[in-house]
Amino acid sequence: MNKDIIRTSSRKGLLFGIVLIFLVLINFHIMASTMISKLLGTNVLRGAFPEVRFMIIFLVIYGLWAGWSAVSRENKTTTKLLEGLISGITTGIVIVLFGLILFFLLETQTDVRRYLTALSFVSINIFLLGLRGAGVPVLFGLFTLTGLLGGALAIGLRSKTVSNFKHSIKAFVSNVRQSITSALPEFVTKYGKYMIYLVLLALLLLLPSRWGSYNNFVFGMVGLYVILGIGLNIMLGLSGQFMIGIAALFAMGAYSVALLNSPFPHGLMWGFWPSLVVGVVMAVIGGLLLGLPIMRLRGDYLGIVTLGFGEIIRILLNSDLLTDLTGGPRGIQNIQQPTFLGRPFNDVSYAYLIIVAMAVSIFLYYRLEKSRTGRAWLSIKEDTLVARATGVDVQKYKLLALCIGAAFAGLAGGIFAARNQFTGPNDHTLMVSINVLSVVIVGGLNSIPGIILGSFALRGLPELLRELETYRLLVFGALLVFMMLVRPDGLWPSSRPNLEEKGSSDLKEDIDPDLEGRGND
Amino acid sequence: MKTRRILIVAFLLVLLLSACGPAAEEPAVVEPSGVDTTALCEGDDFGCAVIAPGQTIKIGMGSPMTGGNAAFGIDAEQSGLIAVEDAGEFMGFQFELIAEDDGGTPEGGAAVANKFAADPTIVGVAGHLFSGATFAALPIYEEIGIPMLSPSATNPDLTRQGSRVFNRVPFTDEAQGAAAAEYMYNELGFRKIAFLHDGQDYGKGLAEIAAATFESLGGEVVALMGLTPGEADYSPVLSTIAADSPDALYLGGYTQEGVVLTNNMKTSGLEDVVFFGCDGTFGVDFLSRTGANGEGTYHATPRTPPETPEKDAFDAAYTTRWGQAPGELSPFTWNSYDTTTMLIKMVQEVAVMGSDGSLYIPRGALVDAVRGLANYVGISGTYTCAPVGDCNIEGPTFWIVEGGEFVAVN
Amino acid sequence: MESKTKSPPKLTRRNYSKIIRPIFGILVLGYILWRLYEVLIVQQAYSIEIWLRLLIAGLIIGGVYALIAIGYTLVYGILFMINFAHGEVMMIGTFAGYFLFEVTKGINVASAGNPPLSFSDAYPLISVILAFIVGMTVAAAAGFFLEKIAYRPLRKAPRLIPLISAIGASFFLQNAAQLLFSPQVRDYTNPAAIARGSGWTLIINDSRVVITYTGVLTFVLSILLMIGLYLMVQKTKLGKAMRAVASDKNTAALMGIDVDAIVSRTFIISGALAGAAGVMWGLHNGLVHFFVGFLPGIKAFTAAVLGGIGNIPGAMLGGMFLGLVESLGPTALGISYQLKDVIAFVIMIVILIFRPSGILGEVLSEEKV
Repeated sequence: MNKDIIRTSSRKGLLFGIVLIFLVLINFHIMASTMISKLLGTNVLRGAFPEVRFMIIFLVIYGLWAGWSAVSRENKTTTKLLEGLISGITTGIVIVLFGLILFFLLETQTDVRRYLTALSFVSINIFLLGLRGAGVPVLFGLFTLTGLLGGALAIGLRSKTVSNFKHSIKAFVSNVRQSITSALPEFVTKYGKYMIYLVLLALLLLLPSRWGSYNNFVFGMVGLYVILGIGLNIMLGLSGQFMIGIAALFAMGAYSVALLNSPFPHGLMWGFWPSLVVGVVMAVIGGLLLGLPIMRLRGDYLGIVTLGFGEIIRILLNSDLLTDLTGGPRGIQNIQQPTFLGRPFNDVSYAYLIIVAMAVSIFLYYRLEKSRTGRAWLSIKEDTLVARATGVDVQKYKLLALCIGAAFAGLAGGIFAARNQFTGPNDHTLMVSINVLSVVIVGGLNSIPGIILGSFALRGLPELLRELETYRLLVFGALLVFMMLVRPDGLWPSSRPNLEEKGSSDLKEDIDPDLEGRGND
Repeated sequence: MKTRRILIVAFLLVLLLSACGPAAEEPAVVEPSGVDTTALCEGDDFGCAVIAPGQTIKIGMGSPMTGGNAAFGIDAEQSGLIAVEDAGEFMGFQFELIAEDDGGTPEGGAAVANKFAADPTIVGVAGHLFSGATFAALPIYEEIGIPMLSPSATNPDLTRQGSRVFNRVPFTDEAQGAAAAEYMYNELGFRKIAFLHDGQDYGKGLAEIAAATFESLGGEVVALMGLTPGEADYSPVLSTIAADSPDALYLGGYTQEGVVLTNNMKTSGLEDVVFFGCDGTFGVDFLSRTGANGEGTYHATPRTPPETPEKDAFDAAYTTRWGQAPGELSPFTWNSYDTTTMLIKMVQEVAVMGSDGSLYIPRGALVDAVRGLANYVGISGTYTCAPVGDCNIEGPTFWIVEGGEFVAVN
Repeated sequence: MESKTKSPPKLTRRNYSKIIRPIFGILVLGYILWRLYEVLIVQQAYSIEIWLRLLIAGLIIGGVYALIAIGYTLVYGILFMINFAHGEVMMIGTFAGYFLFEVTKGINVASAGNPPLSFSDAYPLISVILAFIVGMTVAAAAGFFLEKIAYRPLRKAPRLIPLISAIGASFFLQNAAQLLFSPQVRDYTNPAAIARGSGWTLIINDSRVVITYTGVLTFVLSILLMIGLYLMVQKTKLGKAMRAVASDKNTAALMGIDVDAIVSRTFIISGALAGAAGVMWGLHNGLVHFFVGFLPGIKAFTAAVLGGIGNIPGAMLGGMFLGLVESLGPTALGISYQLKDVIAFVIMIVILIFRPSGILGEVLSEEKV
């Protein structure tokens, strides 16, 4: 029993130690202490190093966490302390070994930055708490102590009494809520949901003119990804076609608006509104052209073909072959700005335009989902064979899904190009397709609130993480994995029960009968 | 079920609120009591940036710091930070470099520009690095009067659209491409050349102009084609080109492609053909990564030999601070230092100390000051900005690699 | 097979793809044949040595693609998930090999009085073997932990969920490598005996064709590894267990197979192969940086699908085919090299239109049907 405890908690400590080493090797300890320092009111200039005391705060928090997480719920008080202590000591030992290496590097003035770019002497010395060699035992002491403390904290906060207490609080809160809701007049309980929507709507209408151009920009980007996400969801979520090439359709909308509205290369000045329509139509044609030959494909084969389609369009836009037509790698500049009732657009009007486009898209989506077409799509997704047997024209509906999804993508692309006043091949890379795919899945398939949340998470979050400088995408990647682990059905899953079987056997479901029937061709 | 939804709505609201957080942070506007600053700011086209005591004078920089082109952005930030450190204090105020990641894409460029525009203490932008991002960012700076000084955006159209705020220090493609073609035809006596480019706006423009000039001189362009950038093996392209047995191979592009091409040429039937690069391939990284294969290759840099004590001092500082040799990450190390320093110098020129202890920087005056730069001696050369914003109008210097070193040939 | 009974009912009114598909295919094939005729028969611009060089380049890169593609295919065959972070596993292997060569290059083994001689120059064979061992081990470990942290908890989730988790892991690994090793592009320090560009020289039509040592090493080793893998999957107990898990996890578990362990081992094997591909990539192309896995990853994924995803010989064939198309395609069709990916993707689309489950089909999952 004791051995077991030692093994599990020392393993925990080892993990924390290794992670800390990794953090030091990428200089994240400096970043973390800088953030702590800023939180506590001491500004640190970019490129400068924070004071050592903030480093200590960071290490203490980390050590407490290491001790805390080693504690298991069931054990006795003393065992918990022991678990925290063992975890702390293990972390300490790992860090001592690492610290000794760092100290050696510092003493011999060995510069390893050729290989490990973050390991500068200053950053090493800050990790050693500015004490050079003496920092190593101090770090050991720190981790042992904080491990013990973490265990102690866990006794207080993770024991049975506390969890009972938590439960009673929860029960109390829900009781209070119940009594409040029952006390409220009927129209509030009945229409409360709509009131929240009303507040959100008012916020949407008020905020764009209030919160500055940067927030408008980020909000607009989120909005455009919502539209793209709805487009992709029609293909992926409703009709079950795995599409990774939506950037190509997005590009068709963007390039239509750009080419019809800029002095170069064609000098056409059609105005924004007619060219937006052209953009949508072009995207639909693109969807049709893509869809016709590949109708028979399914699953991942469809995915890779659409991925190839996206890449083909991007490379062609960038290539020498089409430079005269599309501006090549230089892209298209000076896209003429739309006017509405004679007034040119600024960032606020774009925000409203995107809100309107988003509202229209959401409305259309709900109408489609509830319509005969939507049911046909779902039936195709659930079981193509049965759908066909019940008289659904599978090919027609699959094509229709591609085309309607493409129309949304074209709409988003058109607004996107006009808003940036520039578009080029780099705006339509594979990453765009992957991001849209992630938006839909992170949010939750077939769920509009999910797609909105997903757009916030995928497009808003990287902007909010700008404080983290170069660590932005590292943290973002980790968060993406974490989100999937915590909420594997998406942030806001669709309320429609997922009829598809989960797990490995679901591949069987989407095998297209065409595949088995290929002998008859 | 219900609580979860409410939690999610709350999360959404928090996101919304935190998103509008930065905008709520109003600039510490202190009423200027000194008459001179009021008049100065009211007379200025864009008004003043007011730096309250305790704040820093911020220079922005938009560059790709993640993704495939991260080396360019990281390098620019590293040199910019040294420039800011060298600038030291100014009337009790610190300069600060805010380098933001724009991914090199137009979308990212617009995001960063909007972010900078929302911060009233950002007075100038040493960027953006990539032309696409610059195009999308430009209108936003134009509106509020933030001067730009790009170390590397070479698209000729950038200075053709009559922008007031945009300036740059690298060559335009015209100047270099034409000079390179003339040099190859007249001085080196080449008659058949294959022109390659990396398919990006910089390299493509350069190669096309060089090829056109070379053809007009009477030379034969055996190939003018784009590569897929970032690949590790170009021997198929080179093998095909070998069929035309050219005298030389011209590349418009960066070190990455230049190194691969130079190394591949030895195994693709082009071992006797001269490799002629551009300013994008010049740099210590080319030497170390091509070794013996790099002998006899030509490269270009803007103007006169850049070996000055200031440059040596910078090189030493860069190596000490970052543990890498300058020029290893990208060819724009020195340009980035110069652009940041130039912006800082111009800020120092136009800034006025208010009687309330705040620093007043008239934005319009700063824009004009940057455009009016003349005979500025930086570590990468001497700069005078033309009225359209091209700050480097001198002809190129060509270099040959001999014995593992660059030797100037003209 | 029950293909007869499952044939599509004749309820559909218009079968667009029945008409469009052949038209599309014939158009593309016609164009390809016309271009081939133009280049090969009419112009005859390229002589044999040029074709030989292109062939060599294609075979080498094809070998690397094939090795990475096998990793995709193995994982897909068992979990039906696209391991988007597989290219990053290869990148990790490339870095591991890089560091090993840096270390062996730094050890001086010359006896006193002689000019300095590094370990890797003195014992090239040992250091190359060491590099492969280290690269494969580190990449295998990366694959193992990747599965354990990012995929295993999602075993029961719908199929697209692990894909997003993999995308997140790919972001994380790429950026971690950038922050650890800086975004700088580095060079492999090959042992002097197999320096890049050195090799056997053939003289054809008064022109040199170099068959590089690194290229031969890459090609031969990738073929050997593929044969080894194929034998392992077909003949050993582990291979049998893998096939059993691939065809039906639940039944396999009932038969006493530890599914989790088999999945782990699959990731270890696919990681090791990617690591080997990474070291080969480094030795032959010389480049190592944090983004090095991205393009080969996408290409190898394409190759895996092309050959029939889940099918090991298919992945080998797909990889080789893709390498050859990339290398020979633009020249044979007389199209700019900028468009070589377009050619590769168009040919892939045409093949998939006519054979919707890849060239060789899905062996592993067809067993289930």
